[in-house]
Amino acid sequence: MPLHEEPAAADLLATARDMLLKDLLPALPPDKAFAARMVANAMAIAARAAAQDGGWEAAALARMPGAPASFAASIREGRFDPGTPHHGEAAALLDEITRARCAVSAPRALG
Amino acid sequence: MDEARLTAWLRDATGDASLVVEGASLLSGGAIQQNWALDVSGGRAWVLRTDNAATLAVSHGRAQEYALLRAAFAAGVTVPEPLFLCEEASVLGAPFFVMRRVAGTAAGHRVVRSETLGGGREACVRALGHELSRIHTIRPPRADLGFLGTAPDDPCAAFIAEQRTALDRQRLPRPVLEWGLRHLERTAPPPILPVLVHNDFRTGNIMLDETGVTAVLDWEFSCWSDPHADLGWLCAKCWRFGNDAQEAGGIGSRAALYEGYGAVDDARVRWWEVAAHIRWASIAVDQAERHISGVEHNLELALTGHMVPGLEWEILRMVETRDAAA
Repeated sequence: MPLHEEPAAADLLATARDMLLKDLLPALPPDKAFAARMVANAMAIAARAAAQDGGWEAAALARMPGAPASFAASIREGRFDPGTPHHGEAAALLDEITRARCAVSAPRALG
Repeated sequence: MDEARLTAWLRDATGDASLVVEGASLLSGGAIQQNWALDVSGGRAWVLRTDNAATLAVSHGRAQEYALLRAAFAAGVTVPEPLFLCEEASVLGAPFFVMRRVAGTAAGHRVVRSETLGGGREACVRALGHELSRIHTIRPPRADLGFLGTAPDDPCAAFIAEQRTALDRQRLPRPVLEWGLRHLERTAPPPILPVLVHNDFRTGNIMLDETGVTAVLDWEFSCWSDPHADLGWLCAKCWRFGNDAQEAGGIGSRAALYEGYGAVDDARVRWWEVAAHIRWASIAVDQAERHISGVEHNLELALTGHMVPGLEWEILRMVETRDAAA
């Protein structure tokens, strides 16, 4: 049972965004439409971030060979090139991280 | 803007002592510059271009952009004719230049939806290919473009080195961009003679009307590099404004673009398309950092940062496909 009051952040953002797009945007002068769409976009990203189970971050960090900075440096040095023993694991980890990041920031990119 | 000062300066520059600025209005400009439409006596329609207070360090100043426009105009590229340059900050608060005003539409989302702009999709991308081939006739060394620095012996290697330097400056590591850069390093084509590369030649920066290209705009990122860099930037999926089936900028076919350009090494273009996603992701990180750091609190910059994961996803898919085919 949740101790916080409902509706929660994701619901509030989605409901407010709906009102922005359906009620407010049509009433705005055309030169404010772009700004309103940006606000709607920001609310959609924030709503998805609020709804996401953040557990993937700890799981990804636990699987990462070293801290992100050293992982990045190792990639640069070629230590995860195709043909190296851990290439497949590194590729899979980057996919998993990027998929989770896209789920919040750019779900359409995932196709 | 101080119209009295501007009028006095323009009178001096043109030698027309009776010149009058009849109208000045701010056009929708980029994040970096201000563009003013000037209506000047005698039916002269001009654009005045100057800097916003906050500018990205990697872009050229107005004097350099003016020199690039002059070089492009002389090479037969369709650009607004550059008329006057004022390097003194005392007139308007920042250096500026004046060019002829050109009509047309550049807005990316509108351009990719239109069947007729630029003379129709295929004619338009053929014309874009021709514009690029004209730009690429400008070759180093050029005393007037000395601010571009020494041309690299190996433009692809130089690109990778620059991008890594940029990543090293970032607040956070970017393993996926490193992954993409390492792929580029492993698959880099051989050195090529560098030419002038526009470096932001894409839908959104090219003005079109119903008959064709009316102006190639936004020269502030130009550099000496591989000519295929421009073709790759234009064709990169991230610059098709959602119209992915039209591989040349969301406007027309890749084949028509290549045909309009002339000799194209397709494998090099594909390499530069991966490079384009990495470069755009890195620029997007920079823009978001301007917001996050508080240098410029701005929702558009903030949202640009959220484009990075989608670009990273595309980089991973391109690398995977290219490695599987190798």
